Amino acid sequence: MFNIIKIVFFCLVIWVGFAAYTLVGIPLIIPAAPPVEERLTGEITMEQFVALGDRVFHGKGTCTLCHNALLRAPLLDSIGAEAEAILKDPRYKGEATTGEEYLHESLVHPSAFVVAGFGKKGTNDTVSPMADVSKGAIALSDVEMDAVTAYLQSSAGVDVTVALPSGDAPVEEEEVAEVKPAENATEALMKFECSMCHTHPLIEEGGDTGPDLTPLVTRAATMKKGMSAKQYLVEAILDPNAMIVEPDTYDEDTMPDDYADRMTVTEMNMIVDALLGKEEKKEGGE
Amino acid sequence: MMQIDSIKLHLCLGAGCSVSIKNSFGKMFSRAVLILISLFIISGISTGKSSFLADSLVSPVFASDAQPADSDGEATADGEAAAEEGPSVWAPAPPPKLEASDYPIVEGWNARISVWIVAQLHLFFAAFVLGVPIFVWVIEIVGFITKDNRYDRMAHEFIKVAMTGFSLTASFGGLLSIMLAVFYPDFMEYMVSVFGKTMLIYALLFFVESFFVYTYYYGWDSMNDGGKKKMLHLFLGLMLNISGMSLMVLSNSWAAFMMAPSGLGADGAFLGNVWAAVNGPLWNPLNLHRFIANIAYGGSLTAAYAAFKFISATTPEDRAHYDWMGYQSFFIAIVGLLPLPFAGYWLTKEIYDYSQQMGITLMGGVFAWLFIIQAVLIGAVFLSANYYIWCSLGRTNGADRYKFMIQPLGLVIIFAFLVWFTPHTLVMTSTEMSQVGGTHHSVLGPLGVMAAKNGAVNLLILSTFLSFQMFSRSNTEVVGTGFWAKNGTAIQIGLYTAGIVNILALSIWSYFIPAALRIGLSIPQVVTTLIVCVVAMIIDMLRNRGTRDIAEMKWGNMPIRSQYSLFMLAGSFTWLMGLMGYCRSGIRQHWHVYTVFRDNSTEAFTPTLPYAAGMVTLICAIFLLLILFMFWMPMLASKKKKEQPQPDSAVEAG
Amino acid sequence: MKAFLKPLLVILVCYLLLKIGVPLVGSILHPGTWPVIPTGVMKMYVFFIVTGVLLMSTFSDEGYDALVGPIVDLYTNPAKAMLKLVTVVLVGALGAYITYQYVKPTFDAPVELRSIHPAPPSSIKAFGKRFSLQKLKNPFRVEDKEQLAKSAEEGGIVYYKNCYFCHGDKMLGKGPFWEGFNPVPANFVNIGTIAQLTESFVFWRIATGGPGLPSEGTPWISAMPVWHELITEEETWKVILFLYEYTGHNPRVTKEHH
Repeated sequence: MFNIIKIVFFCLVIWVGFAAYTLVGIPLIIPAAPPVEERLTGEITMEQFVALGDRVFHGKGTCTLCHNALLRAPLLDSIGAEAEAILKDPRYKGEATTGEEYLHESLVHPSAFVVAGFGKKGTNDTVSPMADVSKGAIALSDVEMDAVTAYLQSSAGVDVTVALPSGDAPVEEEEVAEVKPAENATEALMKFECSMCHTHPLIEEGGDTGPDLTPLVTRAATMKKGMSAKQYLVEAILDPNAMIVEPDTYDEDTMPDDYADRMTVTEMNMIVDALLGKEEKKEGGE
Repeated sequence: MMQIDSIKLHLCLGAGCSVSIKNSFGKMFSRAVLILISLFIISGISTGKSSFLADSLVSPVFASDAQPADSDGEATADGEAAAEEGPSVWAPAPPPKLEASDYPIVEGWNARISVWIVAQLHLFFAAFVLGVPIFVWVIEIVGFITKDNRYDRMAHEFIKVAMTGFSLTASFGGLLSIMLAVFYPDFMEYMVSVFGKTMLIYALLFFVESFFVYTYYYGWDSMNDGGKKKMLHLFLGLMLNISGMSLMVLSNSWAAFMMAPSGLGADGAFLGNVWAAVNGPLWNPLNLHRFIANIAYGGSLTAAYAAFKFISATTPEDRAHYDWMGYQSFFIAIVGLLPLPFAGYWLTKEIYDYSQQMGITLMGGVFAWLFIIQAVLIGAVFLSANYYIWCSLGRTNGADRYKFMIQPLGLVIIFAFLVWFTPHTLVMTSTEMSQVGGTHHSVLGPLGVMAAKNGAVNLLILSTFLSFQMFSRSNTEVVGTGFWAKNGTAIQIGLYTAGIVNILALSIWSYFIPAALRIGLSIPQVVTTLIVCVVAMIIDMLRNRGTRDIAEMKWGNMPIRSQYSLFMLAGSFTWLMGLMGYCRSGIRQHWHVYTVFRDNSTEAFTPTLPYAAGMVTLICAIFLLLILFMFWMPMLASKKKKEQPQPDSAVEAG
Repeated sequence: MKAFLKPLLVILVCYLLLKIGVPLVGSILHPGTWPVIPTGVMKMYVFFIVTGVLLMSTFSDEGYDALVGPIVDLYTNPAKAMLKLVTVVLVGALGAYITYQYVKPTFDAPVELRSIHPAPPSSIKAFGKRFSLQKLKNPFRVEDKEQLAKSAEEGGIVYYKNCYFCHGDKMLGKGPFWEGFNPVPANFVNIGTIAQLTESFVFWRIATGGPGLPSEGTPWISAMPVWHELITEEETWKVILFLYEYTGHNPRVTKEHH
């Protein structure tokens, strides 16, 4: 029995010794508490959110294509401050009650208010040539549209009223839901916003930022020496700045030059065929 | 005949070959058997894919792979949730996001502490009862081949000690699973959804193992005919080990999955392939590490048992017997201990490869200091092991020739240990820092990195082995005139010198190469150590042909204090296991399943080191009480049989 | 008596080696410093030396008797009563001295526990977005050797415009300002720094600097600036590329999973 006590004592001494060493001989580090679960609220500051809006405005949103110094569309430098005034304008048709709501609305329903002189031709400034940015090829997410709104307010110098995104809302990296390939030329022309700048029988309501595409049926073949009609059109779509028709009327760098990345070959062929009149017109032509 | 060269047994255990048989056929046979056995065990454990175990797991997997609809049909049987999803669409569910309120509160119970204690006790006993049968079986084979009854008796005695452990292991396992179900129901539900199939296999394997445990143990005497019956008995032992190992690798897969989940989709939902979940990146490193550690641990506990019996023994015969038994167990423990650091390196490397964050948490962050404690413990183990070997010189008759070596050897061991122990990050007061000239210590700094530690640990192992070789030859004298008898020692000295130079040179060289290569450099160092050990042992065998024993080995002629080094060994192992359990589990941080299933209970925090050390000490104390009970049981049984209790043990029993 | 004194002598020699030998070597390696062994480590060293030497001396009964015999004799032999008294007083005084040294108030600043390479968080916020460190790769580490060299060269420009002042022209951590800092700037040539880290770790350390260290890195006295506020993401990656290209180290890589 005495032996057992001795052994138990010996074991306890070495174990307590080990424990005492960890307590005294080793510096005490208190491990960090488990992190609070990540939510986007609080994770992103307003500065970052505005910066995101900035990037969307100048990048993905393609806003500066028209909202630029060439005044294809009105400048938006101070829209954040003017929004409240627009709500009181008799021509305003929307449902927004605050500046923030208006800004958001104008992204989704651009025709709610059209600045005088910027409407679609022949509509007497009742219809905007701008596309719904939440759809089509631009397809901004809610968070991105909020970010743009925040950016517009911020750059106008007014208080940003947009709430920071909550939940695990996607920011930037997230790819937008797959855009479906167009099924026919009419759809393709809509999808790639050709209608915003060009006119053509397949386009319901065209714009005048770019040249009318209707004459191309006959002219395309002779536009450029040594190029067939199809070759020319392909070049004109994929590399718009290769040749500017009527340089006095139309500016360089206006037409996006990223169609090579965005279009499928089928879509491009559909558009080219349609422009050359090969597509049966019954679908598009009313 | 008492004169048994114990080295011969060690050769069997260590190198997988036996030299103790005089007749050459028997020699070849036994060698072949042992090599086959060791290969079988090692391949079964370390290369999961080729083993039969793996196949048994693969088959259900392939079924579910080929016919996802079928596996769904099974899933619907499991729970109604799946049925609601519809039988034809297989929709994997990601682990739930829990809130603190999702964890049941049982008044009077602290969930984590309870699970911690029970899991650790379960592991202590499991390691013991899985480790012991491995070497019991090998010793039994040695006894069968050599026809030396003492091996058989020793094996029988070892398994007798482990027998009580089986039921305690199972009891703690049951308690653990119930506790997990009570305290962490959502977590268990998720684990069952992934591992349900293997859990069923696991439960069934218990019956298989119990069957073999009982037939193996109770059939020992009746099947001990030295012939066909004995071979059947050996087969039972093999099956016992196989079922035990299967149990271990299955439960390892759950632990490995919690650390490094595999077979899951991006959101943590199980993809349906059980084999992919089982065969995670850490599974095999963990299997190997635990397999080796079990042997070492089983050896150390039986050594402690023998030491206890030695101290309590009243007759010279008892002292001789338990000294011998303690020595054999000690040897098994050390053979298991030596490869353990390398298995540990592999595991750590895989952890780093799996996740740098986890790797740095382990080695550079909160747990960095834990490895200083580990180093201290391993140093304590090495010192006590060497002490035991040095004391063993007292048993021999020609030890005076070698005693002069102890002092320098001891100093090398201490020096190597001090390097091994030097922390990477030094804690300094501001005065010390200004003396040192910053945080980087120009002398100790280079000693704190892996390059130095690899060299140190190999040197430590070589020195320990040299101590052992000195002991093993100190009872012999050269009488023959053969080449090896005359020149063996000189060649061995050359071998050791070359080995040590190589290890040191590699260590120094590794300071100058990139990290990725440096880790790889530890392998040639280990190989050097192994080659030196094996070749030196072979030379010893050759040399032994020209030697004879000076006189009979004086078993039992050991001081009592030497036996305390065996307690030290077992005690340090136990405590170290507990501490590393905390570490392995703790590097998951606040995750049930790392990066996939978050632990949101109020006790998801990582405990501090002293807190964990206190817990481990508490668990060890409980374990000590249980193990005393376990050791006391077979004594009770043998007392009844003898019907003439020894006065001392009667007192002990009380 | 010789057998009794020998272990004590060995212990004393070892102690002096640690106490004077190590700083001496250090002062030769780095003139101007006297790198003593920190107290905490020294205690453990001495503990194990004493234990080891005692074990070395007591494995045989003769050794044990030689060591323990004189002590037993001292305490039991009536002829040595005076010596015994002196010894008891001396041992007691030594204990008192050690205790006093341990508890006496000092003006030393508290001990610092900086972990030099603390575990990185799973994701960090920098350059206005969130990076998951586990998956983060250097976008400029490409197969094309020419492109790689070009990026590294651009990184070099960034380095000499920003990092050089502390980390030095040879990346040895000895830029013009290095002496002003404690902890000193990292030495990238040393195998203990970038050579054993992944590029994502280095990215984290550059982007969030000293203030971005987790609690293990406390006290946050690293003077490393929060670079993501000063240079661009692209420049950060290029400068990382430059660090590895210049020093010839390879970043640690983690295996691909899933």
